[in-house]
Amino acid sequence: MKSTELKWALVILVIVLLGYILPYTLFTNIAAWYGSFLLWTILAIAIIGINYLITRKWGE
Amino acid sequence: MVWWTIAIYIIISLFVAYLSRSGKQTNMVSYFLGDRKLGGFVSALSYSATTYSAFMLVGLAGLTYKGGVGAFGFEIIYFMGVSLVAFFGPRFWLVGKKYGYVTPSEMLGDRYNNKKVAMVVSIFSCLFLIPYSAVQLAGVGYLLQGMTNNAIPFTTGVIIATVLAIVFSYIAGIRSVAWTDSLQALFMIVSATLVVILIINGLGGFGSFFETLETNQPHSLTVPGNGFFSFVNFLGLTIPWFFFSLSNPQVSQRLFMPASMKSLRTMLMGFLIFGFVYTLVSVIWGFSAAAMFPDLANPDLATPKIVSSDLVSPILAVIVMVGIMAAAISTIDSILLTLSSLFARDVYGYIKKDSSDKSQLLVGKIVIPIIAILAYLFAQMNVNLIAVLSVASSAGLLVVVPAIIGAFFWKRGTAAGVMTSVIVSGVIVIIFEFAKLKPFGLASGIWGIVISSILFITVSLITKAPEKKADEFLSYLKTELKRSKIV
Repeated sequence: MKSTELKWALVILVIVLLGYILPYTLFTNIAAWYGSFLLWTILAIAIIGINYLITRKWGE
Repeated sequence: MVWWTIAIYIIISLFVAYLSRSGKQTNMVSYFLGDRKLGGFVSALSYSATTYSAFMLVGLAGLTYKGGVGAFGFEIIYFMGVSLVAFFGPRFWLVGKKYGYVTPSEMLGDRYNNKKVAMVVSIFSCLFLIPYSAVQLAGVGYLLQGMTNNAIPFTTGVIIATVLAIVFSYIAGIRSVAWTDSLQALFMIVSATLVVILIINGLGGFGSFFETLETNQPHSLTVPGNGFFSFVNFLGLTIPWFFFSLSNPQVSQRLFMPASMKSLRTMLMGFLIFGFVYTLVSVIWGFSAAAMFPDLANPDLATPKIVSSDLVSPILAVIVMVGIMAAAISTIDSILLTLSSLFARDVYGYIKKDSSDKSQLLVGKIVIPIIAILAYLFAQMNVNLIAVLSVASSAGLLVVVPAIIGAFFWKRGTAAGVMTSVIVSGVIVIIFEFAKLKPFGLASGIWGIVISSILFITVSLITKAPEKKADEFLSYLKTELKRSKIV
């Protein structure tokens, strides 16, 4: 795996870890739509954006 | 009205399947991989329909009803795992084209220079995925029976689903599967989204919808919430699904099919958008059930309750029901086709060493209805072992992941390493699931991946790696990935 790929892999790893850690710590008592629900939504959108960037040059 | 809607759905699908017949499907690559020429849009919709089964609107909605927002997190972690396609997709695609692979297990067999590897991995895939299909078939039976108040009996529903799955995969192989999948994907997402919008409006819009949840069931908006999604449970559920895009052959085989890198990209991005919307819709669906009917005895009733509520008109209810049925069938037919290709290529191809491409195709075509009927019988029998294997399928298939990662990133991996890791940890997963064992509170999938990784690495280190093949395989990838500006 080369550096650019490794860089993206690490970014995704961080996002996934946030998806595990934050809801069980910071947001565990926030019983509202802007708690874990919003967090996971934002992380999912971030994942879509990152995949867009990784694959941007495919097939050029 | 139910029969009419089902009839219209069947007629349109059959018409699409018929139209998809282009060219002659006279060899393995054209029948099972569409000549590696699938367009991006169809690939994306078909990938989505294959991935998302009836589980979403029944199981995930029920899980949300039962455990709250943790169900959303579970599905989002899976969703994030599909990013693996951004790394493994081009690699699968390049070597598939270069070496002519039809199945992902064939790729492993070739890379580790031992065809027994391909056979073992294929047999394990069948062991878990046939029961998994059986449970999906049974799901269609229960759905039609439940929603029509027994007007369509269980057996009739299961027969309809089995016959459709056989027909969709038989008419033109992957072409008919991909095109009917695409139609069904659109049907699934449009009908479900429509219902959710209607319900949210009926409940007074998003604001008051969440307010109701915040006041009446605050636990449903946090994890661990009511305790269902404790952290170890969450881990046990999510880890196997995170690797789904690699571990399950009916989706990893899709990485061989797109016509170009660009189509592969469209497939990935299209799936991510579809998956995001469908996940949100299914979870909100479950939340609505929690807001409207907080005291259901069985969470599996959440979806039937929603569909038969006053907010959903009877015609829309039937359409959604057919949408859920379509979600199940589009998953089953893809699994059916993939399993028959695994059997023909890797099991029959191993037993009969000099078998021609043509005879493999014939075997594959004969096996399609056999596997379907096997799944049908399992669906009827309601045997405990079948349910256990089905539940274990995501955890059981996970044990192949170290070998797949190793194929692309570790020169030292060996065939002995793959076979030991797959067989030993696969059997351990089955035993754990069957005996309901959870050592240290951790689910079978976690034990599966840990034991499988350790075995793969240690056994590989003490056996001799296929250096020549590994060098050739990896240096080819290196050059091509560089040329395509991927690394």
